[in-house]
Amino acid sequence: MTPIVRIDRLRVTFGSGADTVEAVKDVSFEIAPGETVCVVGESGSGKSVTSLSLMRLVEFDGGQIVDGRLTLNCETGPLDIATADSSAMRDLRGDEIGMIFQEPMTSLNPVFTIERQLTDGLRVHRRMSGPAARDRALELLKEVRIPEPEQRLQQYPHELSGGMRQRIVIAIAMACRPRLLIADEPTTALDVTIQAEILALINRLKRETGMAVMFITHDMAVVAQIADRVVVMYRGEVVEEGPVDQIFSDPHAAYTKSLLAAVPRLGEMRGKPAPEPLRLVGDIVDPKPLLPKADPEPLLQVSNLTTYFPVKGGPLRRHVANVHAVEDVSFTLNKGETLSLVGESGCGKSSCGRSILRLVEPTSGTVILGHQNVVDANPRDLRRLRRQMQMIFQDPFASLNPYMRLAAQVAEPLKNFGSASGTDLIDKVASLFDRVELPRDYMRRFPHQLSGGQRQRIAIARALALSPKLIIADEAVSALDVSVQAQVLNLMMELQSDLGLSFLFISHDMAVVERVSHHVAVMYQGRIVEIGPRAAVFGDPRHPYTKALMRAVPIADPSRRTFEDDLDFKPIPSPIHPLTFAAQPSQYEEITPEHKVLHIS
Amino acid sequence: MAYILNRLLSVLLTLFLISVITFAVTNILPGDVAMMIMGTQSNPEALAGLRETLGLNDPLVVQYGRWIGGLLTGDWGQSLVFKEAIGPLIAQKVVASSLIVVMSMAVALIAAIPLGVWAAVHRDRWQDSTSSTAALVGVSLPDFFWGIMLILLFARALGWLPSSGFVHPGDDFLGAIRHAFLPSLALGLGLMAHLTRMTRATMIGIMGQEFIRVARAKGLSEREVVWSYGLRNAVGPVLTVAGLQIGYLFGSIIVIESLFNFTGMGWLTYQALLNRDIPLIQSTVFVIAAVVMLTNFLVDLLYVVIDPRIRLS
Repeated sequence: MTPIVRIDRLRVTFGSGADTVEAVKDVSFEIAPGETVCVVGESGSGKSVTSLSLMRLVEFDGGQIVDGRLTLNCETGPLDIATADSSAMRDLRGDEIGMIFQEPMTSLNPVFTIERQLTDGLRVHRRMSGPAARDRALELLKEVRIPEPEQRLQQYPHELSGGMRQRIVIAIAMACRPRLLIADEPTTALDVTIQAEILALINRLKRETGMAVMFITHDMAVVAQIADRVVVMYRGEVVEEGPVDQIFSDPHAAYTKSLLAAVPRLGEMRGKPAPEPLRLVGDIVDPKPLLPKADPEPLLQVSNLTTYFPVKGGPLRRHVANVHAVEDVSFTLNKGETLSLVGESGCGKSSCGRSILRLVEPTSGTVILGHQNVVDANPRDLRRLRRQMQMIFQDPFASLNPYMRLAAQVAEPLKNFGSASGTDLIDKVASLFDRVELPRDYMRRFPHQLSGGQRQRIAIARALALSPKLIIADEAVSALDVSVQAQVLNLMMELQSDLGLSFLFISHDMAVVERVSHHVAVMYQGRIVEIGPRAAVFGDPRHPYTKALMRAVPIADPSRRTFEDDLDFKPIPSPIHPLTFAAQPSQYEEITPEHKVLHIS
Repeated sequence: MAYILNRLLSVLLTLFLISVITFAVTNILPGDVAMMIMGTQSNPEALAGLRETLGLNDPLVVQYGRWIGGLLTGDWGQSLVFKEAIGPLIAQKVVASSLIVVMSMAVALIAAIPLGVWAAVHRDRWQDSTSSTAALVGVSLPDFFWGIMLILLFARALGWLPSSGFVHPGDDFLGAIRHAFLPSLALGLGLMAHLTRMTRATMIGIMGQEFIRVARAKGLSEREVVWSYGLRNAVGPVLTVAGLQIGYLFGSIIVIESLFNFTGMGWLTYQALLNRDIPLIQSTVFVIAAVVMLTNFLVDLLYVVIDPRIRLS
């Protein structure tokens, strides 16, 4: 079969002269009609640049196609995109090739109606306008299963949820029935249930229209679920290409092997008693499981923790309602163990972590660390308590000061609490660098001179400086590439076993949570809906939300494809309630003494 | 609707505060109206009599109430210098100043928006540096410098336009425009430079957004992408800044109107200050503040039209 598009020795550079960066060095592959090709790689692999080159959008970002051919087989014959003139490219964009992007929140123009944005392509490529264009727009909205399509046409993007917006963006890309759809990380910014919906939608559209899909992603689990063929990229080059089954079962390239080794797979911990580090390529010894102590000793006891944020309204900014961010949450975290709070965005998991540290003030409840209540501690006691609990945030670049040398940043907590000075301080900082496996000569560097994973190591070193008992890790590995994520996770587990640390691990990623946790609490609408030992929650989920969440998680195994045709998860109800609203206390049903499920009213 | 009511409420509150401050400040100034009328060498008894007649011995709150009551009912009192009723006097001058403020704002916006967009689209190339340099020169030099240059060029050397005086647009519309043109241009140049920078910065931010990429991926022409998709989003912030600049313009007209001998609000305020004409000072300051507040309120209303996110929240 003639391919729709053939990429042949593509080379793309940015900048000029001595500053020239080669983003894509030598990339060749083709896409056949009706086929889904996943281009996978970590940040900087050139996968997005390749896809933008196919639309020649790369030149708007300062890129330049310096070599190679991009042959598109149009109905009128083959066309080389690399050398086509700009008017030919305009005719092609949105007509032959449609494209969707990562950020649904910013992919739509905030000041135009949905109708206008849906019909732009029809107007330009099909000369359609008025009622004809509107009818087609309605059809498109129905095709992407948007409820109440008639009303949506006159709405503006901010009136729609993220998942809904991504459906609209897909409808825009589908408007002129493209023969190739390029999807650049279309689900990365979405919650896992919404991701499942969008993947199912793309799959169905592909089947119904026979178009080819080029899907760019860093997520091997998504690849396993949707790809026919996989192109693995690394530093601007294709390192391996093949059918999805072969890539997963019998990868040839060393890079593919290490990439796959680093991916935590949901379900692979079944039958294992405790968390264990990922076995990375090159590791010789088998990873040791982190068995909990025989007689667990509680470190952190959270009881009935509730946090409301006031909603201000009216001309006088009066307190008119509350956001119920954390609602009657109770759990116990033992010494040397990891408890994960898992849930989707807005479920209250981060607010819960911050309330424990009192970075936000809880409304009620108790947080006992050791023997002292954090919630009613006076400022001096709170300062002492905070010494024992440290936090690591999602974005290490944002949480480090760009103007301070790394050694000074790691030393800061030691100085603040007066626990070291002079040469003693320098020694301590150096040993912290050793501890997180960073070379000592990095001590004089600045944050921008490090990679994302290295920066997160600095954040961990800083958290460790005061020898805390508890570390709250809020999406600490979410922004990292998978190979780096695996290294950082392994480092955290190693630190736990060496130092007896307790982690409160806040994450949206079910597979990572399964890997690292002793106990798991699933959060939904501010409450813990299910809590228990990891094996119980993952092996025998009882609450409907836990089950839905598990069903939505893509599994990094092409032989276990779980996608149904169309999925439709219920949107999360608003957590905003009037001041008079009296929330019911959380009541649990005990499956076993440890495994509890929220009573469903 | 709630948004508009909200803004209206804050405008009224601000006007009230301004009236209080204006009144308080003019009362703290040394000397009072009676002394201004009768002179410093006057008979103390006659002075005391006049103070009693004018109500200057009443508590300040009562005096303030009387002033505000007068403002609201149209009785603005008499100017001491001009020996005229203040109300009609200000009304006439407001027309004159509005003419140059509106014209300078129009000049500034008409030039600044295309220039700013042009610079943003050609970011970091010669077009951008040319526009940035020009803007920097524009912002750095004071208005009166431009005023003098314009007079030298257009009035002295070329003789195309009059260099001074004011003609009421009701009497001779074209003449009014001709007389207001040079002062407007002098005021507008600095403003234009400022707004060009603002448009450029806003557009650069917007052109980096994902929805611009989506618009290109639809196959829209670059012209539509920039001037429709991009600019529609930039107009709001640019107009907001332009609205805030109205206050700056009313500040600048004091210098520019004096330079061009253009008898508007700026000129009137200057005369009032020079002659310690306290009733006139109070009224002119209050009117200028009110005009600035109202234009900003109008810009906020415009924002409602431009940005659906505000319309619906």
